[in-house]
Amino acid sequence: MELAAFFPNNNFSLIGVILALPLIGAFINGVWGARLGKPAVRLMALSSVGLSFIASLFAFCALHRASEALGHGEHQGAARLSWLAWEWMHTNGGQFLQTVPVELKFSIDALSGVMMLVVTGVGFLIHLYATSYMANDPGFARFFAYLNLFVFSMLVLILGDNLPVLFIGWEGVGLCSYLLIGFWFDKTENASAGKKAFIANRIGDFGLLCAMFLLASSTGALDWAGIARGAVSLVNPSEGAQIHIWPIANAHYTGWLQFLQPTHPITITAATAVGLALLLGCTGKSAQLPLYVWLPDAMAGPTPVSALIHAATMVTAGVYLICRLSFVFVLSPAVMALVACIGIATALLAASIALVQNDIKKVLAYSTVSQLGFMFLGVGVGAFVAGFFHVFTHAFFKACLFLGAGSVIHAMHSRVHDDVASQDMRNMGGLRKYMPITFWTFVAATAAIIGFPFTSGFFSKDEILFKAFVNHSVSPYKTELAARGVEVWEAPTWFGPMLYTLGVIAATMTAFYMVRALVLTFFGEFRGWSIGRASEAQHGHDLESAEKAGHVHGHGHVHGSEAHDDLTLPGDAPHESPWAITLPLVVLGAAALFAGVLNMAPFHFEPLGHWLDPVFEQALHGSVELRGGAEHAEALMWPLAGGGVAAFFVGTALAYWVYVMRNGEPAHRLATALPRVYRFLVDKWRVDEFYNATIIATTEALATMANAFDKWVVDGILAKLTALIVAGFGSFLRAFQNGVVNTYAAFMVVGGAAIGWFMIVPHPEVVIKAEGAAQMVEATTGPGYTYRWDADGDGLIDDEQFSDRSKVTVQVEPGAKKTIRLEVKNAFGITRSKEIQIAGPDAPAVQMGLANAAQ
Amino acid sequence: MLLMFALSPFLVLGGGALLLMLAEVFSRRPSGLAIGTTIVFITSGAFSVALWLYGIEFLPVGILSPWILVDKFTLFFNVLLCLGGALASLLAGGYLVEYKLNRGEFYSILLFATFGGMMLASAGDFLTLFLGLETMSLGAYALTAFRRASPRSAEGALKYFLLGSFAAAIMLYGIALVYGATGSTDLARVGAAFSHGVVTSHPMALIGLVLIVIGLLFKVSAVPFHMWTPDAYEGAPTPATAYMAVVVKSAAFAMMLRVLLTSFGDAESMSWSAGWPPALAAIAVLTMTVANLIAGRQDSVKRMLAYSSIAHAGYLLVGVVVALRSKEQAAAGVIFYLATYTVSTIGAFGALILLGSYGKEAVSYDDLAGVGKRHPAIAMAFSLFLFSLAGVPPTAGFFGKWFIFRAAMDSGFYWLTILAFINSVIGAYYYLRVLVFMYMREPQPGAAIAVPMQSRHVKAALLLSAVFVLALGLAPTCTLDAAIAAATTFRM
Repeated sequence: MELAAFFPNNNFSLIGVILALPLIGAFINGVWGARLGKPAVRLMALSSVGLSFIASLFAFCALHRASEALGHGEHQGAARLSWLAWEWMHTNGGQFLQTVPVELKFSIDALSGVMMLVVTGVGFLIHLYATSYMANDPGFARFFAYLNLFVFSMLVLILGDNLPVLFIGWEGVGLCSYLLIGFWFDKTENASAGKKAFIANRIGDFGLLCAMFLLASSTGALDWAGIARGAVSLVNPSEGAQIHIWPIANAHYTGWLQFLQPTHPITITAATAVGLALLLGCTGKSAQLPLYVWLPDAMAGPTPVSALIHAATMVTAGVYLICRLSFVFVLSPAVMALVACIGIATALLAASIALVQNDIKKVLAYSTVSQLGFMFLGVGVGAFVAGFFHVFTHAFFKACLFLGAGSVIHAMHSRVHDDVASQDMRNMGGLRKYMPITFWTFVAATAAIIGFPFTSGFFSKDEILFKAFVNHSVSPYKTELAARGVEVWEAPTWFGPMLYTLGVIAATMTAFYMVRALVLTFFGEFRGWSIGRASEAQHGHDLESAEKAGHVHGHGHVHGSEAHDDLTLPGDAPHESPWAITLPLVVLGAAALFAGVLNMAPFHFEPLGHWLDPVFEQALHGSVELRGGAEHAEALMWPLAGGGVAAFFVGTALAYWVYVMRNGEPAHRLATALPRVYRFLVDKWRVDEFYNATIIATTEALATMANAFDKWVVDGILAKLTALIVAGFGSFLRAFQNGVVNTYAAFMVVGGAAIGWFMIVPHPEVVIKAEGAAQMVEATTGPGYTYRWDADGDGLIDDEQFSDRSKVTVQVEPGAKKTIRLEVKNAFGITRSKEIQIAGPDAPAVQMGLANAAQ
Repeated sequence: MLLMFALSPFLVLGGGALLLMLAEVFSRRPSGLAIGTTIVFITSGAFSVALWLYGIEFLPVGILSPWILVDKFTLFFNVLLCLGGALASLLAGGYLVEYKLNRGEFYSILLFATFGGMMLASAGDFLTLFLGLETMSLGAYALTAFRRASPRSAEGALKYFLLGSFAAAIMLYGIALVYGATGSTDLARVGAAFSHGVVTSHPMALIGLVLIVIGLLFKVSAVPFHMWTPDAYEGAPTPATAYMAVVVKSAAFAMMLRVLLTSFGDAESMSWSAGWPPALAAIAVLTMTVANLIAGRQDSVKRMLAYSSIAHAGYLLVGVVVALRSKEQAAAGVIFYLATYTVSTIGAFGALILLGSYGKEAVSYDDLAGVGKRHPAIAMAFSLFLFSLAGVPPTAGFFGKWFIFRAAMDSGFYWLTILAFINSVIGAYYYLRVLVFMYMREPQPGAAIAVPMQSRHVKAALLLSAVFVLALGLAPTCTLDAAIAAATTFRM
């Protein structure tokens, strides 16, 4: 492959192709989509992402070659293909008119290369799926325009070589997510779900922006290489480099505010501040505590969107960012511990909620939040490869699960014609018979997520749990800082085992709720017949709303007409989906089972790990200690994997016992025995209610106040007043524009006379410069000026003749004052004079005596 | 032959104008003239680019000096004026047909006036300078009066002509005085005489300077020499208005830079306490403030754009004042600003033309109500040009303002910069007001609404301007480098 000849590593313009294709697709579908017709839109959408995937494959091969060329030496640098698209505000012309260029630069390295393949590859499969799933939607072109735009934004996020470019993509995916969650915006709850996602993300974006400012001021760079070089300065323990938490901006409180003044200002290192700010950004995008609330609501969007954006790609952006800036996070063990804590807490919380949900997409949504928690746990304990590996495997199995759920909903919908009922697992059951392909792929993906031994999820989750147990984060500059008397916080020894135990519990719950979902959906007898009858009364209405909402009817003509013809019939049975839906399922299901071979840590076969090593080399240098040493950790690998396997067995067995052997009866009993706990879980820990009562209520109160201020003070007084003044002046000046040419000429004459007067009358002005004890007084030049002075301050002109002596030196005693006099004569013989008072060196020079005396 | 090559931009334009005049006599389809004129402009501009790339140092331009100076400054302005002329003739191609004014002489006048403008930008001697000035001005008077049937047009043209002759006479008198004092009409020699203190022995040279400055300020329509502008701009057919606002003004600024920086660029004439820079600074503040305040009170969008062009002259004068510290930086900033101003202003006038048709013209703000919904593409283009005029990134106008204001800050003119900033804010008010009407107002029931004309010429001009506005805003590097190279003419 002679690709390298066309695309050198430092100007790898193929990135432009990878990025441009989805953008072109989005543009064409967005602008002309409605006129092009569905086949053309489908072709455009699929080909743009598909070709982007192929280009990504080429790029990945080129990256592989580039890293081969670097060799596998001990100090192998990370291979990187970069492309400077364009520098905004860049000048190279002269010594002036220069600006700081804004670099729009992209790069592919080991980490972004893998992400790029996942985004375009999984993205293509989901596009293919959506062409069938959305086939009957009136907003077909709009949907694919958004979806292509999302792929573009996600690629910008991944491939950006600096934080500002990443931020463009970060905002872009947020926007697309908003647009797609509210895709069926004629329903209020969809629109508000979109808003909720956007606002929760904005809170995170605030953190990311803060991090950018902090990084720019502390490390002086925003590109990855620059931040990596300057990262050391983030742990600078000196007073000036610390971030002051309190008092804010280093203010000093006195008087009755004295009590606010602490004896020692509370400071944290820049590394901790940056880490916290970045973490806030990541929790927003990756749906972690405390900002996870938007993701379950985001299921209001079409199912392919849930699969692509809210499971496989966008929500992993936070994990990606932590991996990308791993060398910043490891500088603060406290932040690392916080990342891990947030991860495990989210994993447990979301898993517990998922236990009791009945909506199949809600189960998967909470499962996604929970799995993202596992990823955070992984990166939080310094197992960046493991965390990223879980991103990778999760993309496959969760996309497969969502698409499978979409296929089920699609089938159910053609049967029950109700948006809510068709997603309720209590109405499903027995679908195994009707939809075998969907069933088997769902089984494969479920096996992966619950950690069935040797599936992809088993390897990735167990590695996270293992690393959580053995890893111990320390500051990489521990010894240097200790030498300067600075102690860095470290996690206690029980921290790792605790994370491991909680992780196993979360994994057990995962196994339980996923098997529950599988059993309720696919096993037993189909329970949807009764729903079909129960909803007959409102059948027509539902059908209408369903069609309006755009749900696909697959072979819609059959069901639609039948349902209308004879409402008493239950309709036909659920059926398998067309190939465009099942093919992505099969591919993703296979990947879910077998992608684990890329990183089988227990078998010491870790190609992905080795591939990613250069990326995390700097981060892992001295920042992670293995509990009990490497030997000990090695020995623990299989025993600790046992915990994960046990979680799988216990969870699966329990779910099997409850839902297959006892047909859900123990669950009912438990729910009735502990009604309050059950309600608490069904109400999702009442987190939304809590936020409503606290943060949102406060914000609304503030907004009301701000609104009143804006209405009465800003609009009422300030705006009206200034507008009135400006308008008044305008009207006044306009009056002179009276259309009479005499007036115009008169103004010209007045203007010309003013200029003439200004230039014909001399202007005695001086500039005073101190030169030691003496002061130099220099008269400003003018056309044809000559000067004479009274420099000694005796009131008499020194020299009667005007000369071109424009400077005099004046000696003034300290503290004393002296008045000197300058007379200027110009070519017309007009003279003007000026008295200048000069103070001694102590007092500042004051100009006085502006009285002009004409001669 | 090389000499012919050096003069090719002029020859193409002059020859093309003559050819088109002949063609007009014998042709029955005057609609082709607009395209023909555009081609002549583009060819002339292309020759200027070719000269630039060929390298002026290889051309035997010495024998033309000082009558015609073929340097990078000249070439840059040739391209800029030809661009403005080409866009204006495209606008005319749509406008004149729509309003049944399609007489071929419009295009010939356009070409000859631009010829005069190019001469003005390249003249190194007061004689050729004045010839160019009059060639351009006479064309502009004729263009203003082109709507013969309209009393406003005739009135505007007459006012323009009267005051213009007045100003030309003042300037000519100034030139005569300077010639009398220095014994030369060569700009460079006058400059040498001034730096050797000619004012001391011949005070009338100073009066000459004052009169020339007044003439220059009239041509760039600075307050208080601006009062003809709104009337002439409003009376003229809109393409002619756009042409005057852009090409005539650019050529006048070229002349101003050339004259002030070459002839009166000595330390004494540029003294901050007594020279022309403080006078110009005061005029700049006056121009910006008065024009912006009055523009905010206009009901007619065309008249608002006329005042806006006066306000822009104020910003440009700020750029000229920077010459006090660095002539090169001043020239570069002004040149670049003119490039951004040209494309934005032509675009804004073009959008206004496109929005109206015969009997249903878009004139007042009310005519524009609801246009954003009825004609989203034109409204979007109009908004783009207005954003650029207001200086909103990432459009061209932002960088134009950015470089001038930064140059002023670098030179220590903090008050001037602050006043210019405040004026930009006032300016944003009336530009955004157009957007408010286009997007947030609905037309009164029964009120006459503007109906867009169908013209490929105007659409092409709009598209070109929009591309330039975005290109200059997103990738200003190339043009900026060219402007900086053009400004090296004034390197000391």
